[in-house]
Amino acid sequence: MSDVAYEGPAPDGVLGFLHVDMDAFFVSCELLRRPELRTEPVVVGGTGDRGVVAAASYVARSYGIHSALPTSRARRLCPHAVFLPGDHAYYAEVSSRVMAVFADITPYVEPLSLDEAFLDVRGALRNRTEAAEIAREIRARILDQEGLTCSIGVATVKFLAKLATTEAKPRASQRGPVFGSGVHVVEPGRELAFLHPKPARELWGVGPKTGEKLTRIGIETIGDLAAQPLDRLTAALGSSTGAHLHQLAHARDPRPVVVDSRSKSIGHEETFPRDLSDRSVLSRELIRMVDAVATRLHKAGVAGRTIQLKVRFRDFTTITRSATIAEPTDKANVIRSTTEALLAQIDVDLGVRLLGVSVSQLGKPIAHQLSFDDAAGLGRDETDDIVEAIRDRFGGNAIGPATLARPGKPLDRMVPGQQQWGPDDLNR
Amino acid sequence: MSMKFRCERDTLVEALSAAGRAVTTRGGALPVLAGVRMELVGDRLTVTGSDLDLTITVEVEVAGGEDGVAVLPSKLISDVARSLRPGAVDIAIEDEDARIVSTPSEFSIRVIPVDEFPELSSADGDAVTLDASAFRAAIDQVEKAASSDDARPILTGVLMAAEEDGLRLVSTDSYRLSVRDLAGTTILGEGQKVLVPSRALKELSRVVGDADEITLRLGERDAGFQVGPVKVTTRLIEGEFPNYRGLIPSNHPNALTVDRETLLDAVRRVRLLAQESTPVRLAMSSEGLELVAVTQDVGQAHEAVEASYNGDDLTVAFNPEYLIDGIEVAPGDEIILETVDELKPALLKSSDDPDFLYLLMPVRVS
Repeated sequence: MSDVAYEGPAPDGVLGFLHVDMDAFFVSCELLRRPELRTEPVVVGGTGDRGVVAAASYVARSYGIHSALPTSRARRLCPHAVFLPGDHAYYAEVSSRVMAVFADITPYVEPLSLDEAFLDVRGALRNRTEAAEIAREIRARILDQEGLTCSIGVATVKFLAKLATTEAKPRASQRGPVFGSGVHVVEPGRELAFLHPKPARELWGVGPKTGEKLTRIGIETIGDLAAQPLDRLTAALGSSTGAHLHQLAHARDPRPVVVDSRSKSIGHEETFPRDLSDRSVLSRELIRMVDAVATRLHKAGVAGRTIQLKVRFRDFTTITRSATIAEPTDKANVIRSTTEALLAQIDVDLGVRLLGVSVSQLGKPIAHQLSFDDAAGLGRDETDDIVEAIRDRFGGNAIGPATLARPGKPLDRMVPGQQQWGPDDLNR
Repeated sequence: MSMKFRCERDTLVEALSAAGRAVTTRGGALPVLAGVRMELVGDRLTVTGSDLDLTITVEVEVAGGEDGVAVLPSKLISDVARSLRPGAVDIAIEDEDARIVSTPSEFSIRVIPVDEFPELSSADGDAVTLDASAFRAAIDQVEKAASSDDARPILTGVLMAAEEDGLRLVSTDSYRLSVRDLAGTTILGEGQKVLVPSRALKELSRVVGDADEITLRLGERDAGFQVGPVKVTTRLIEGEFPNYRGLIPSNHPNALTVDRETLLDAVRRVRLLAQESTPVRLAMSSEGLELVAVTQDVGQAHEAVEASYNGDDLTVAFNPEYLIDGIEVAPGDEIILETVDELKPALLKSSDDPDFLYLLMPVRVS
C-alpha cells in the first residue's frame, strides 16, 4: 500500500547509492556467541540429512562449502566442520541493530533481507565529502558496535552498488580467507568501464534460463549486451526482459530506494562517554536526540504514531518503553513530551549508558489542522521549517534548541551519523 | 414535608425542561444535582436546576395549595410531565413521595432529600439591560468557536470585554476565533472583561425567544442573566484569555468575495466527500473559486463557485465544519475571505458589517 511505504529521490547521477551486505552474517553472529570457533570451519543450516547450508564461515568456504549446498555434501567436504542449527530470532535481533545503524545515516534504507540493504545517502552528503567515506564509517560502526564486518558497494544507481559489493567481499581460498577491500566505489563516469567486462549472468534479472538464451545468441559479457540493438534483444528475450537488460547494460537503473515503513522506524541512539543518572542531563540528551529524529522524519516526509524510548543501564540491561499517539507526528515537541513522560517513569539511579529515541508506524503525515499555537510558533510547522532552512544553508550546528546552548561552546546538536557509541571527548 | 399545587401540564413541562438543562447528566459528586428543586410560595413556583457552575431558575404561576420545597429527579419528573395528557396536573408532596395526578394517570415518585441540595451562588451586581435579540445574535456568532475541551478551561469561555465604543465578544478553540462587536452596548466598566462559559451563553440563547430585554447582573464570581421568568446564573471562568489581537494578520494580500449562501451551499455539498478528517480545498484564482474534496478510496467532489478574487493564485485547505460554522454566522449576503498563504490564518468577514470577524487556521496538507 502506497501510504505505508515511501521512496527516496530518483537517481540523479550523484554517487550516493550504497549496497551493504553483511559478511557471512549467520555464521558471524554465531561466532560472536562462540568466539572459540573463530578459526574452525563453521556451517549454519539444517543439520539433518536433508538440510541445506544457510551460511558458511570463510574457513568453511575454503573447503568448498557454500550456502544452498546440501548439508550431507558439506559434511563429506569437511567432516570436522562445526554444524550449527540456525537461530533466526537471534539473527533478526542483531539485524535490527545493524539496520538501526543504517537508519542513523539516512532515512532511506531498503532492507533486502536480514543481512543486506540498499541505502540512499545522498541527503547525508552535505556534512561529508564523499559517499565512500560514509560507507567506511558504516563499516567501522558496525564492526565496533556489533563486532561484525560487512561489504559495501557504492555507485550512482542501485544495481551497480550491488555489483560493486561483490568486488568488496572477502573471498575464500585454499589458504584461508582473503580480506576484501570492504568498500568498492564505482565512480560516476566509470560505470560502463566497471560493468562491461563482467559476465552478463551477473546482471540483476538474468537467471539460468535467460543466461542460456544470451549464450545462444553469442552474448557473454555485459559489454556484448550493451552492443546489441534493442530490437534484437527484445526478439530474443521478450520485450520486457530485453528492454530491462538493455537499460542495465547501459548502467541505467531508475529505481529509488523504497522504504517499507510498516516495520520501519526512524530513530537515534547514543552511548554516553560515562553513565548518566542526573535527570536534567538525561533530559538534555533526550532533547538532542528528539531534535535529530524529528528532522529526519521531516526530511523523509513521514510521520509516526509509535514513539519509543530505549534505555541501556550501566549493567547493560536494556529496556524499551513506548507510547502510541492518536495522530502520526513529525513534530519535535510532541516526540519530546512523549519521550520525557516515558523517561520520567524509568528509574535512572543505576546509571544510563545509552539512550535511544525512535518513531515507528510510519506513514505519510495526514492532513493536520493547524492551530493558533502553530501560528504563534509553538508547534512544528513554520519554526521547524525555518530551522531546517537555516541548517541547510549554514550547516547543522547553526541553530538548535536553546536548551542545548552553553556559553562559549559550540552548539551540541546531534547530527545524523554522529558516533553512536560515544564521543571521545569526556569533557563534554 | 409537604407541598401542594395545581398547574397546566404545558406550564410544568416548560419549567422543568428549562431548569433541567442545567442539570448535570454526568452524575457528579453530588447525586442531589440530578434533581430539580421546586419551591412554592403562594401561587409562585420556582424550579431550579444546577450543576454548580450553571444554574437555571424558572418562575411560573400555579394554583398554590400548600407552600413547601421538594427536590425531584429531573429527568424522570420531566419525562412524566411530558407524557401526561394536556390539561391540569395536581402535584402533592407527602413525606418521601411526590404524587402526580392527571386523571386517569397517577404517579408516585420518591423525592430527593431537600437539605442535600446545595446553596447556590447568585450574581449580586447592579442590573443592566441588554437588547435581547442583538445579544442573542452575537452569542450565536461566537459560541461555536469556543472550545468544548475541558482540558483548556479558558477556551471554553466567551470573552466579554469593554471596548472603546461598546461590548466585544470573543471566543476561540485555538483553531478558529470569532469576534463580535456590539457598538453602543456599554454594560461593563471601562477596561472590564469577564470570561463567561460558552455553555451558559448557549443556554441563554435558547431561552431568549422573542424577549425584548435581558437583564444582566455581574458579580465578583458569577454572572446572572434574567430573561422574563428564566434566570441563567453562571460561574465566571478565572484566568487570562489569550491575546487574540496578535493572531489577526494585519495585512492580507489576497481577498475572495463571494455570495454567502452560494458558498455555504457549495461547501455543504463538497463536504460529503471530505471524510475521515480530510479537508475541503479552496483553489482561488482570477477565474474564481473551486472547491475540492478528496477522500482516498471513497471519491471526490469538485464545485466551481462564482467569486471575485484579488491576489496570487492560492489553494488553502480547511476543516469543512469550521468553515461552515464561520459562513453560517457571518452577517450579510456577501462575505470576504482574506488569506496570506496556505498556512496562515484566514480571515472571514462580512462585506458590509465590520463588527464581525472569523479567523480560521487552515489544514496543512503534506
